Amino acid sequence: MRNKYYLAFPVAAAIAVLSLSVASPARAADCELKMGVMGPLSGGAAAWGDAMRLGAEFAAAEANQKGGLKIGADTCHVTVLPYDSKYTVEGAAAGGNYFASQGVNFIIGPVGSPEATGVKPVAERNGQITFNSAYAKDAIGPQWPLAFHQVVGPGTWASPVVAEAKKHFDIKSVVVVAPNDQGGTDIASVDADAYRAQGIEASEEYYQRGTTNFAPIVARMLSKNPDVIDTASSPPADAATMAKQLRQAGFTGPLARLGGPGTAQILNAVGGMKNLGNFYWAEIVPIDDPKVKSLWDDYKKVMGKAAPNNSLFATSVAASRLVLKAISKAGTQKDVNAVRDALRSLPVVDPNLGKGAWTGKETYGIAQEMGFPVGMGMIKDGKNLGVRAIDVTTK
Amino acid sequence: MNGFIAAGIIGISLGAQYALLALGFTLMFGILGVINFAHGAFYVVGGYFTYAAVSWLGLPFPAAVIVAVLLAGALGYVFELVVLEPVIQDYLATLMLTLGFHLILTTAILVIFGPESPHFEFPVSGAIRGEGFYIPYANLIVLAISALAIGAIYLIMHRTDFGRALRALADDRAVAAAQGIHPRRLFPLAFAVATVLAALTGALVTPMLALAPNLGESVLTTSFMIVILGGLGSIGGATIAAFVVGIVEAYSSVYLGGSQGALALFIIVLVILVVRPRGLFGSEFVGH
Repeated sequence: MRNKYYLAFPVAAAIAVLSLSVASPARAADCELKMGVMGPLSGGAAAWGDAMRLGAEFAAAEANQKGGLKIGADTCHVTVLPYDSKYTVEGAAAGGNYFASQGVNFIIGPVGSPEATGVKPVAERNGQITFNSAYAKDAIGPQWPLAFHQVVGPGTWASPVVAEAKKHFDIKSVVVVAPNDQGGTDIASVDADAYRAQGIEASEEYYQRGTTNFAPIVARMLSKNPDVIDTASSPPADAATMAKQLRQAGFTGPLARLGGPGTAQILNAVGGMKNLGNFYWAEIVPIDDPKVKSLWDDYKKVMGKAAPNNSLFATSVAASRLVLKAISKAGTQKDVNAVRDALRSLPVVDPNLGKGAWTGKETYGIAQEMGFPVGMGMIKDGKNLGVRAIDVTTK
Repeated sequence: MNGFIAAGIIGISLGAQYALLALGFTLMFGILGVINFAHGAFYVVGGYFTYAAVSWLGLPFPAAVIVAVLLAGALGYVFELVVLEPVIQDYLATLMLTLGFHLILTTAILVIFGPESPHFEFPVSGAIRGEGFYIPYANLIVLAISALAIGAIYLIMHRTDFGRALRALADDRAVAAAQGIHPRRLFPLAFAVATVLAALTGALVTPMLALAPNLGESVLTTSFMIVILGGLGSIGGATIAAFVVGIVEAYSSVYLGGSQGALALFIIVLVILVVRPRGLFGSEFVGH
């Protein structure tokens, strides 16, 4: 009687041959540089994580198109390893250790505040540079010299955005709503302070992350009769549902979003600009700038598919490009401190985002924030007024 | 007073949605003894199948819902017959398999449709408005369909041979099998019915809220809580528990806020379970 496993060897051999034949084509590069990218690749904030991942992959593809990244005497192929940290502290901490096990010393991301909190001490221990996009009050700091920040936080841009909004809308009171964890409270409290500094009465509402039906929260917010409701750093899917239910409940005042990108989802949910009415928001980058816009076209040319409709993609590209430049300048991928010093010494310049500066000294006590001009978008009476640039690089 | 009425209306709307969702879960838990971790994923599948039928095939919404729930039901039938049935007596195995299927379904949805919510609206807009409150017509439609579904499931379970057979299998599988009732024929059908209910809820509710791949997790938690609170296998208990949860959630969120409201809800559920450990209505059926 034939052994029931008699087919196993030829099948395994066939699989092995097939795997080898469809493996990455033979590269001219002498070595491999692994770059990690971390963020929520599932869940309500997946749009942000996906944007972060695709930005890093694009920067890697750009380097590989030129034959690889020059590191010392070698030319290395850049490989991007993604990790789904699920917008949680423990997810990001596990991600840091996973990357360490894979020999990854450079992590683009993570995205959110809980993730940044989780990964920073782990990355310091493991000797890994991170480049997060968290809006947390302690996104970076002198106690984490390997942690960099790829976006300017609300502490810097919230006030100028609110001041500009006041010129267009009659705002005397606002409700700022966000999830009840660090990813929500750190941003909503800063936003509320920015409104108060402009003489606007501000209250904060927090909800349990994972809520899908916001009808009770909407009723509670409307009971305060606010002029504006600001969704702050609520994940895009949550903000979209809230916007839909607010308009359904008869709220006609302006909506706002002084938090991460999510305008496209909000527009999708309410059914277009006419239904949205009045809306203002902060953009990570001035997305109407032709050079910034061209990044999306460049992505399509190189990668053969559309770039994500999320401006976090742009800062991820810029951060990845800077890290790769720093590794090349330092001439090593093993000496992380040398790469950190090289990164600090590089001017903050990007072919698409323009000229920026290392900011963050005033806010975080360390100038390791990649500060490019941010954007403020506005939809007024159903018409898109575009996204104008706000220069915050002097702070 | 208006806020009180508004919160009550929201609570009843939530309760109707939860009842529809929990019905399927209670069928599985009470009859098959299967903790179906994929229940939330079928809710999401119902939403996305309906969206695809409307957007890609151009079907009118009611037809799209029917197509979507039938497809989801077929998927559930095949999954139970092929994957779960061979290990149906092993609680741990069924738990892990349904959890795995949940991950497969939600990841597939993420890959096919992307992480962003598509534009997907309920076909009926507008609301009945009063002084300080409003009731969207969509919520009234869901309330009506919930009532019909609850009635239909009750009739099926208590007035049809299929329902009697399922209850017999839940009472004592060995004796029922000895009497000529075939679990291998009935359990996949029961699973399909549960899946249809989850998908129907998703098809109706996601256009009112938002459609996203990750919605299934919180939906599963809510279903679990309702089924335990109502009493394992009790359709009436699950229905009443759904409205209890919906109303408590609405009032606590409106008057205490989102964070404190969630805490209040869990404390109330905990107190009820301490006083009545078998849930509000115990169990009509005993799972094996």
